[in-house]
Amino acid sequence: MATDKTSLQLVTNGILNENPIFRLVLSMCPAVGISTTVMNGFMLGVAVLFVQVFSSCTISLFKNVIHPRIRIPTYTLTIATWVTVIDMVLAAYMPAAYAKMGIFIKLIVAFAIITMRLEMFACKESVTASFWDGVGMGLGFMFGMMSLGLVRELLGQGTILGHDVLGFKPLLFFVLPFAGFFCVGLMMAFFNYIELAYRRAKRA
Amino acid sequence: MKDILTIIFRLTVACLLAGAIMGGAFVLTNQAKRHNAELNERQVMLSLLGYASVKSAPASLKLYPIYRYLITAKGGEEIGYLLPGEAGEAGMTLVILDLDGKFVGQRPVTLSPEAAKEETKRAAAIPAALGGDAKARYADQTIVVTEGGQRLAYLLPGRFPGFKTFITAMLALNQDFSIRGLEIMESEEDPGLGGEIVQKYFKNQFKAKTLEAMRKIGVVKTPLPDEYRRALEADGGTGSGGLSAEQVAKIEAEYSGKDIYALTGATISSRSVTEGVRAMVQKFVYRLGLLDQALKEQKIAVPF
Repeated sequence: MATDKTSLQLVTNGILNENPIFRLVLSMCPAVGISTTVMNGFMLGVAVLFVQVFSSCTISLFKNVIHPRIRIPTYTLTIATWVTVIDMVLAAYMPAAYAKMGIFIKLIVAFAIITMRLEMFACKESVTASFWDGVGMGLGFMFGMMSLGLVRELLGQGTILGHDVLGFKPLLFFVLPFAGFFCVGLMMAFFNYIELAYRRAKRA
Repeated sequence: MKDILTIIFRLTVACLLAGAIMGGAFVLTNQAKRHNAELNERQVMLSLLGYASVKSAPASLKLYPIYRYLITAKGGEEIGYLLPGEAGEAGMTLVILDLDGKFVGQRPVTLSPEAAKEETKRAAAIPAALGGDAKARYADQTIVVTEGGQRLAYLLPGRFPGFKTFITAMLALNQDFSIRGLEIMESEEDPGLGGEIVQKYFKNQFKAKTLEAMRKIGVVKTPLPDEYRRALEADGGTGSGGLSAEQVAKIEAEYSGKDIYALTGATISSRSVTEGVRAMVQKFVYRLGLLDQALKEQKIAVPF
């Protein structure tokens, strides 16, 4: 079964229709735990983008030799390999970026979104389609994390990207881990509402 | 049955492949990674001493590392300090003290100070110098900084427990053991809460604290006074609060006898750092006192 979507459709599908955080509700641990600032969201988004694209391409390339009964261990192994390689390469050649991203990269091994995309998409589709799907999912994850980070950073610390915009801290509550649940829920409702309103406007 | 054999075979092949890729990446990147870590450490040391970059440090500034070892010999436990020899000499000296700080003996170690930077080379040279079946276990290192032959400061790399994992830090002490600066090297505290320990308004609070103040330092949960916060933020960088270096030093001196102001929502991290720094300072002062006394009594020549 090959997908009939174009590469652009695959990318927008990952960002909007099947957004990992607001639609598929996957990888909730980072969404709740780490989305305290916009910068955190961006860093984690970049890391997920790379791992997702590399893993999707690898699995898509080897899809015919992976025994169906051990596909999940193979996916985990692939993800772990790429995470380790990216971690080591960054530490060696981009120490400044690694100082900020290092802690996030190691977390990715356990992200549900990547395994799920390999299972749902990459193991059935061509390498090119998997590449674009990986890009879309990575960008969608980045978008979700950054928008969550924006709300939480603004309300929790009164800043955006570290710049003081409000001059005071409205609700420290939003920085704490459990506030992530409220935030994710509210943002999910918000995006669903926008889509509803958009559909209604289109029909009218 | 046939199925399980193919599964075992394919999974083994996949694991071997993944292992080969990871191993290859490790071999290719390890050298550069170690080099980066060393550069970073050196940069942090110099910035704690007050120099902006490696180039701006004067040539008369010398860093002498002291490696501390726990030695298990037949007679019991002893402590060994691996010291650099007198200027111009190639070898190093291992000064051995007992647990109460009494001088036991000294042994020459054939190891150049350059080679001594690598732990594996030290681990090979020290047992050879000790002889017998004595075992030496590496404990930690401290660095004595001299300028023109005079002791200027001490650098202490250290590790202590944080909220969940260990925090690695580098502490600089002045000649009178007051704190010159603190830098957090590695930490995994919660971002936005305990993670704030790396911020200037927390770590600079330790600056200028005297040894007396450090001995009984605690953590208070009252809010950080505004003027103090501005001074801490402005310290050692482009002054954002519009304060001159003298004003910053004056405000910091005012607060030097006070406790550490805890971070909002991260009292445990604040306490861990305070307690860790206090322990590092106290242990170092005690050990250095014993070592200096032994060096003086035995007339052992050292370059610092």
